[in-house]
Amino acid sequence: MTIGLSFLCGLLASSVSYFMLGLWWPVALLVGGFAWLAFGLLDVKMNSTFTLLGGMLLIFCVSLSAMVLRANDQLSGLQFANTQDEEGTEFRYPVPLLGQARYGEKIYKASGCVACHTQQVTHESVELDVKAMAGEKNHAAAQEAVSRFYRSTGRKTSGGAALGLPVGEWETIETGLNPADASKARNFLAAAGASVDVQVRFRGEDLMQNEHSNPEGRGWGRRRSVAQDYLFAEPPMLGSVRIGPDLANVGARHTRDALMRILLNPRIIRKDSKMPQHRFLFEEADEGEQGRHIIQDGDKAYKPTADAEALVDYLLSLKGANYPLPEAPVNQPFTSSLPDPAPAPAEEAAKTTQPVEADK
Amino acid sequence: MSSKPKEDEAKKDPREAVDRSCCGPVLFLAFSAVAWLLVYSFFALLAGVKVHASGMMADSAWLAYGRIQPASLLALQFGFLVQLGLAVSAWILSHRGKTVLVDGGYLVFGGLLWNAGVTLGFIGILNGNSSGLEGLPMPGEVLPLLFFGFVLVGLSLVQTNNRRTDEEMSPAQWFLFAATLWLPWVLAGSYLLIHFFNAKGVVANIVDWWFIHNFVKVYLTFVGLGTLFHFLPAMTGRALAGRGFAQFGFWVLLLFGSMGGVGPGAPVPAWLSALSTVTAVFYFFGVIAVWVSLKRTINGVTAADSSDSLAYNLMRLAAVIFVTVSALNVFFAFPGPGSVAEFTIYGPAKELLFSLGFVGVTLIAALYHVFPRLAGIDFSPRMTRIQNAAIILGVLGATLPAALGGLMSGDAVLGSGFYFASVGQLLLFVGSLVLFVNLLGAVFFAMKNCGCLSSICCGIKKKEAGT
Repeated sequence: MTIGLSFLCGLLASSVSYFMLGLWWPVALLVGGFAWLAFGLLDVKMNSTFTLLGGMLLIFCVSLSAMVLRANDQLSGLQFANTQDEEGTEFRYPVPLLGQARYGEKIYKASGCVACHTQQVTHESVELDVKAMAGEKNHAAAQEAVSRFYRSTGRKTSGGAALGLPVGEWETIETGLNPADASKARNFLAAAGASVDVQVRFRGEDLMQNEHSNPEGRGWGRRRSVAQDYLFAEPPMLGSVRIGPDLANVGARHTRDALMRILLNPRIIRKDSKMPQHRFLFEEADEGEQGRHIIQDGDKAYKPTADAEALVDYLLSLKGANYPLPEAPVNQPFTSSLPDPAPAPAEEAAKTTQPVEADK
Repeated sequence: MSSKPKEDEAKKDPREAVDRSCCGPVLFLAFSAVAWLLVYSFFALLAGVKVHASGMMADSAWLAYGRIQPASLLALQFGFLVQLGLAVSAWILSHRGKTVLVDGGYLVFGGLLWNAGVTLGFIGILNGNSSGLEGLPMPGEVLPLLFFGFVLVGLSLVQTNNRRTDEEMSPAQWFLFAATLWLPWVLAGSYLLIHFFNAKGVVANIVDWWFIHNFVKVYLTFVGLGTLFHFLPAMTGRALAGRGFAQFGFWVLLLFGSMGGVGPGAPVPAWLSALSTVTAVFYFFGVIAVWVSLKRTINGVTAADSSDSLAYNLMRLAAVIFVTVSALNVFFAFPGPGSVAEFTIYGPAKELLFSLGFVGVTLIAALYHVFPRLAGIDFSPRMTRIQNAAIILGVLGATLPAALGGLMSGDAVLGSGFYFASVGQLLLFVGSLVLFVNLLGAVFFAMKNCGCLSSICCGIKKKEAGT
């Protein structure tokens, strides 16, 4: 092997050991130098099975430990986390599947729903808006902090808050900031003694639609999915292709009746649906049988089997992308514009700092 | 099985003895591989049609789209690609090493076990016992069967390679040797982690991604490249240029192909996605090195023997597809373009283009070269022309419109690309049917002429009944 190629090998070995395996830099240099010597000077020949086998075993161990075992170390300690639903009731999350839902998960798995539906909500970016309010005492300092922030982030210093902060009123400093800039703005303003309010918005096609901040949202969840959501899934059916919509939050979107109809014949609900019908989960209803569970499709009436009931139980239990977690918060509006009585200042400060730090 | 007398023969007329030792086992594996290709293309066609006609066969749970689609992929990857890969590897390793195939009986027995495993996995998925994972959709119980089947075949291949006449190993031998060892390692690792140690939560998915990444980026790639590294120099009669490039490529592909495969927004720790991007970029350097070596070998020459020109041209096409798909992979490994392509039907279409267009076409081309030498009879030329056109057009037709459509229309929408893809699947089905009939006919004719096939004809008859 030529000296140049062997140097490349050495470079590769050292960068892999430094950047990927996180080795101490002298060790990484040593590994690189060793690889260079081995391939260049000592002229390791690729003629013996032993050389090949040795290199392969080494790479196999690196691959297994760097990707699988390290991820397992990080994720195997996941425990319940506290969260709250829309009404503010706190509970421990995730909730294990109850009743027939566990059996429904098996039906989901057996029917291969994962071939067309993912169960992972993603987000594209997070944006933060910052508002500030200065009193008469610290008005000059706050004004200076604002200009300092504009200068340091290279923004134009004309218009808006740059012209002058009103005294005793909330004024928008900047919208659509990334977490680093937002924390800078917050630090500058807080140091100058101004009150700061931060609004957190998540953007992404999968998230809830919002005319202003997320116009393309499809409403598949309030936040992105994280590993915590799948603590009890056996196995997590994340999926890699969306021929149909994402189901991570389907339980919050549809009613039992709608899900039953979609399973029997999706075109009852949507004319142009491409989803195959799942009549094998239903049986034809007897003549004259009445009840809420009877579904008319064309001139025939069907009733769900136990499998269909369990599957729908499982689907209704999928609400993961609804509840905020420390590592995956949901949108947080400006606390100052909420109609509720304003929370105590200390509490407010804690709330505004939390999402910024969570996203670093 | 003692191989002493065969070795004595090998000294007299090496090539013929080598071919005689390969004949039965290699043809057995090749035949069952082609049968699985037929199974794949039929079920893939059926799956495509079910998307257009949503009410068709809706009363049968066995034929739900979610069952036949993963089952057909299993038939393609484990039934067709792995088996034909093993058959071609066995032939190349014994030819390159100028030695008879050691213990060919292991190939037949291991092949039977492997076929039993794939069949059980296939039926298991249709029956609703799928594991729910995408890389390893078959029920966990069949994995040990697959593992032992592969190990038996691998034992024979490794021993054959160890008894090579020349001490020096060529790149073709590195790649095929590494592939033969690598698949059982990752298969056993994934089985143990997922089904034995019961990986919790998304760890199971990470192991699954790790397996499928290794299967595609290391195993399938190495089988395809090893075949190209043997046949392209052999058919043009030139020595391989740039052995150093091949060596560099080998280690880079192995190192960076063995990690990665996690999408940009996956619900796992973010460093996994970052690692996947990094490895995808470094992997491409290996691809470039391999490409330089191959390109310099075949630059400006045609096949030395006109009977090889078909196989030679197919392999050149496969090499172009390999480089194209690899370049696309790097581009879409970056988070920006990656999140556009994520979850769209671009992903599966690209995988299919890679596994059938590169690996599948390479192996079929190798079969065109190997089969006449083993069976003493060539394929029917007219049917060969039909099956080639149908398979090439089918692969391109099933993948390119779907990939483009997926990128243009985004996820959760089925554009018109899907309709065109079904035309491609239909062509693919026709092509594999003709290939199957062609091979079947040639084998029957060969059995009249050549005694060596009669030893395995029972095996073949069993296989026919099975599929």
